[in-house]
Amino acid sequence: MQKVLTKKSLPQWVKKLLSYTIYTPVEEDDHWNFVATDNPEDINLDYPLTTLSPKKIIFPQREIFLEFCDSTEGNPEVKEVLPAEKSAVIFGVRPCDAKALTFTDKVFGGDFKDIYYWKRRNQTTLVGISCNTPPYTNCFCVSVNGSPYSKEGLDILLTDLGDKYFVETYTKKGEKLLNLAKGLFKSPTAKDKKDLEKIRIDSKKKIKRQIKNIKKIPPKLKEMFDSPFWDEESMSCLRCGICTYLCPTCHCFDINDEITSSSPIKGKRIRTWDTCQFPDFTMHSSGHNPRPDKASRLRQRILHKFLYFVDRYQNYQCTGCGRCISLCPVGIDLLEVLDKVRDYGS
Amino acid sequence: MVSLEDLKKEAKQILKENKVKYIIGYKKSTNGLMPVPAFIKEPEEVEKLVWDPTCVFNLTRYLVDEKRRKTKEKEPDERPVGLVVKGCDSRAINILLQEKFINREDVYLLGVSCENTGVLDEKKLTKKIKGEKVKKVEFDEKDNFIITTQEGKTKIPAKEILANRCLECKANFPVIYDVLLGEKAKRSIDNPFESIEKIESLSTEERWTFWKKQLDKCIRCYACRSVCPMCYCDECVADTISFAVTADTTAEEKAQKIKWVEKSPVSSENFIYHMVRAIHLAGRCIDCGECERACPLDIPLRFLNRKLEKEAKELFGFEAGFDPDQPSLISCFKDEDPEDFIR
Repeated sequence: MQKVLTKKSLPQWVKKLLSYTIYTPVEEDDHWNFVATDNPEDINLDYPLTTLSPKKIIFPQREIFLEFCDSTEGNPEVKEVLPAEKSAVIFGVRPCDAKALTFTDKVFGGDFKDIYYWKRRNQTTLVGISCNTPPYTNCFCVSVNGSPYSKEGLDILLTDLGDKYFVETYTKKGEKLLNLAKGLFKSPTAKDKKDLEKIRIDSKKKIKRQIKNIKKIPPKLKEMFDSPFWDEESMSCLRCGICTYLCPTCHCFDINDEITSSSPIKGKRIRTWDTCQFPDFTMHSSGHNPRPDKASRLRQRILHKFLYFVDRYQNYQCTGCGRCISLCPVGIDLLEVLDKVRDYGS
Repeated sequence: MVSLEDLKKEAKQILKENKVKYIIGYKKSTNGLMPVPAFIKEPEEVEKLVWDPTCVFNLTRYLVDEKRRKTKEKEPDERPVGLVVKGCDSRAINILLQEKFINREDVYLLGVSCENTGVLDEKKLTKKIKGEKVKKVEFDEKDNFIITTQEGKTKIPAKEILANRCLECKANFPVIYDVLLGEKAKRSIDNPFESIEKIESLSTEERWTFWKKQLDKCIRCYACRSVCPMCYCDECVADTISFAVTADTTAEEKAQKIKWVEKSPVSSENFIYHMVRAIHLAGRCIDCGECERACPLDIPLRFLNRKLEKEAKELFGFEAGFDPDQPSLISCFKDEDPEDFIR
């Protein structure tokens, strides 16, 4: 479905959606973040890029699986905890972040369907916003088969045409949101469609950063497992979790029992994000760690995204959002590393 | 003024003479304004070195990696590491010496003075120039930065774009070095603890609200810990598993590792992590501000460290990082030390 919506009407549309939890990008301190709001006037689609992607809503950093209490020695009570039944709409999702969710869909939707993930995924409607100008200095979606107006993973995509939004729906979930405020949406004119086309052509051209010949990278990585390259490239790495925690596609997690009382034993089984960049990530109980240093950890991050994931799901596990580059405290540049990989030894 | 050519000349010389095994300095970034750490091994590579007010990183953190690497080598190269240090970074060196984490002969220090200004805050600058692409940033002798963009040169008062830590810096020149580039320009600051006064003036409830909001943002990426030259413990209280496991460690010992801080990023755990870090940095933090700069969620971590710095100064007359032979704050006492806060 293709429609147009005047910018003035946006809050009126949101007003009709208040039975959902509404998320919008909000500027907090010096960065942007998705925050729940019940004020339709808060919706802001003119923003750069949030520090954390909508991954944090669909796959939260902390998820309670179950609660346990052993008050009657040997006969513990266990209570399953599931995500709340509450539909949500996320406004202002960048196409790269939505595409990232199509990757986590694969990971959490394989032979074993992760009920926690899917519950949230299915009850959330994603309203995207095209990137008419790159929202971030290190955007490179086009190099990883993406685009500033990609519809992958989205239910609705809005494109800013000046005083109105061009509205496209791709799913029933998306159409439902439009149907809740029918009168506000008009059919696009021939001029609207022409403007949209022009904006799209221009928006692709504006993306400056790129990876050339990306196809050469996976076979190259296959040969580089034992290369001293990783020692050199990881020299400046601090082994923090920024690149992975802020990555919209990274999905590793850890499960721990967190004890809240020792007598009687009470606690919660909790899933939290984990990252290959932490030294305890693959630490064995014997004390042996197959990835003992930052070189092997950087290698893991790159190989997972540009070799293992490609082998398994025929996609680079990267959507070109640029967060890992812009927010690395020591400026490690993924694109520079990949350029070097491609040209390594030649 | 620090001359980049002098820095390169000095670096080249020590590499040629085999005085150092490599040099850690700054080089141009491929993706943004702020330079990145450079690890220079060959005299020819010295040309990559840069020095200007965008060189924000505290490179002394890499001495922790160097020490870890060295302990694993069978025949370690005993030559020192060449290190470019600013005033604050040099104070970190003094702490590492004081705590005997490194020896003086482990490092060859190329001291660079920030003279009358300091390093700049990328976020403040970006806001100021509203999206223009910065080509060059230079110090100016009259408390300004000269910013060159495609539009031309602009003068911006240093105070407006300096990193917060530099606004309160007492010694913006190296206090320990092998070579010093630039002047030991003394500058006076009326109130070095100005930034925390606003928080100190809040009521307990207001402070709680403030810190709860700030620390609830924490995603426990541990960038603050990772970037800190003082956070060199092999095993941190925040880690949920023990790294000190050997072939002799029994299953029982492994199982009994106490989890002081749970992995859940919730208020209680975030508070414990940040409080523990702040307390462990009392009398050790030299206010390089790297934790605050690295934080992707802009948690004002300097407030915690500055508060403890102020307590140390007011109660014990202690200032960190000026004298490597001074005993550390928490390992010494004097008869005249105050004790009225002990209950």
